[in-house]
Amino acid sequence: MKKSLDLRGLTCPEPVLRTKKLIDDQSLSCIEVLVDSEVNVQNLTRLGNSQKLSVICEAADEHFRVVLQRSTANSKEQESAEQHHHATAKAKASSTIAAGGNTISSTATGTIILISRNTFGEAHGSEKSKEDHDFSANLLNLFLQTLLQSGHEPRAILMVNSGVKLMDPDGPYIKVLNELKEKGMEVLACGLCLDYYGLKSKVPVEQVTNMFAICEYLFSADRIISP
Amino acid sequence: MTTNPEKPIDNNQLTNNVKAGGCSAKISAFELKQILAGLPKIKHANLLSGIDNFEDAAVYKLNDEMAIIESVDFFPPLVDDPYLYGQIAANNALSDVYAMGGKPLIAQAIFAFPTCDYPLSIAAEILRGGADQVAKAGALLTGGHSIQSSETIYGLAVTGLINPKDILTNSGARPNDRIVMTKALGTGVSLLALKAGLLSKAEQSLLFAALTTLNDRALEAARRVDIHACTDVTGFGLVGHIHEMAKASKLAARMVISALRFFPSAQEFAKQGLVPASAYGNRKSFEASVSYIKDLPLEISDLLYDPQTAGGLLLAVAENDSANLISAMSEAGIEATVIGEFTEGIPGHIDVLIS
Repeated sequence: MKKSLDLRGLTCPEPVLRTKKLIDDQSLSCIEVLVDSEVNVQNLTRLGNSQKLSVICEAADEHFRVVLQRSTANSKEQESAEQHHHATAKAKASSTIAAGGNTISSTATGTIILISRNTFGEAHGSEKSKEDHDFSANLLNLFLQTLLQSGHEPRAILMVNSGVKLMDPDGPYIKVLNELKEKGMEVLACGLCLDYYGLKSKVPVEQVTNMFAICEYLFSADRIISP
Repeated sequence: MTTNPEKPIDNNQLTNNVKAGGCSAKISAFELKQILAGLPKIKHANLLSGIDNFEDAAVYKLNDEMAIIESVDFFPPLVDDPYLYGQIAANNALSDVYAMGGKPLIAQAIFAFPTCDYPLSIAAEILRGGADQVAKAGALLTGGHSIQSSETIYGLAVTGLINPKDILTNSGARPNDRIVMTKALGTGVSLLALKAGLLSKAEQSLLFAALTTLNDRALEAARRVDIHACTDVTGFGLVGHIHEMAKASKLAARMVISALRFFPSAQEFAKQGLVPASAYGNRKSFEASVSYIKDLPLEISDLLYDPQTAGGLLLAVAENDSANLISAMSEAGIEATVIGEFTEGIPGHIDVLIS
């Protein structure tokens, strides 16, 4: 049996309490909950996981739909094994969200672009002039512009060390980075590095990552390109 | 969540209509940094501690022997008992003065109250709880300011005194210093479980005892060794406050999960989704500075970000002082544990280890 709950407008702990009440009703095999904050989604995901239910979460406009399903094979609603597999996979995806972002599937592959300084290669010569630096910086911009036009679609662009300066909202790179992001690439910068260069408060929080995630990205990549 | 008595809705309950109580109501560090970014940086010869380094309070030097500590803290109700709410809010405000190493002298109350929705006796009880807590600290409650409001708010502005050479800041930790913490972790999660009606009587009395325990005796005991740095664990959670201390001291930190003490059932409550919104805010603000082992249970990492109300002290001491500090604390009847250490490394970075 299936039951739906509209818990929009309620704040924690109410959604967790009311959903738990339905979970305790063993006659229900599927519970659908509507909530309107990400915190509630994350807390319901935790609740579902702790009760060994599969959790599917979808964002709709202005609200979220969380579906909790009993994973027993003799569930009264006859599900095909395929659907079941689908639900479990989705549940894993949503517990990734629940872990607070920054966590990625270890099976993911693709090309990663690792930018670890704010120039393409290093400015030449032992005494680097400002002109030399500007030239190397412009080269990097040219690389990103070319990447945008090229049709290549790396999975992510990771910025570390002085490379995070590219995320400066007042800098020359942010436009092309945003365009690359719109094409579906993940554009992420190391939080410690942003902090060091005083940029952390200027970068959207979902684009800030940590060394743990960077390490996972690098080890799961098919190919790493470091300009 | 085995008991699960759904709480009856009572319109007179203080915590109805409160979205986030206690330190859960705090604006996240990430947002706060953006808000504060436009403010002028104030430098003054007598200002020994200001907004920089996210210190607990401002310290202004009057002369070579005396400095005043100034701090303000308030929040919406986090428990339904008005007297207890007053006590906890006052305790939390007084705590900032102890975190700087000082002694509170006088306090003024900040009070907003919906006089149309609740009987005035409730207001009187809140103020009585606050006044009693101030008296317990040996300070004087000398007045305050009150307004009508749709939401109840109570707290204190506190003035404390300290000898400038005794000031304890965030920034004095040294490499290889041990991190010592008093009080258990998990007030945010436990208060949410309380609101959900899931906290047993025994769990409630442990929680309330911690929330109304002043940090005065912990500080006094700590003074028996050389303290390099000190703060109290409040709204930014354990990770947030270790991060701020490490960053201000230009050090990295290591913390050990097996050394942490949690409130009873806090892990179980977190696992079942009773995690306050600002714990997620803290995670967003500080996760970039943390690397943790891959298989750290989610409920543990939630508790590392859990906003603490009237939390314990976080102290940095030399390795060979840590045992003395723990025993000085235990002689004063205070449970304290070594939960990690500061190391050379990327400033503010925290390595989380299982043991």
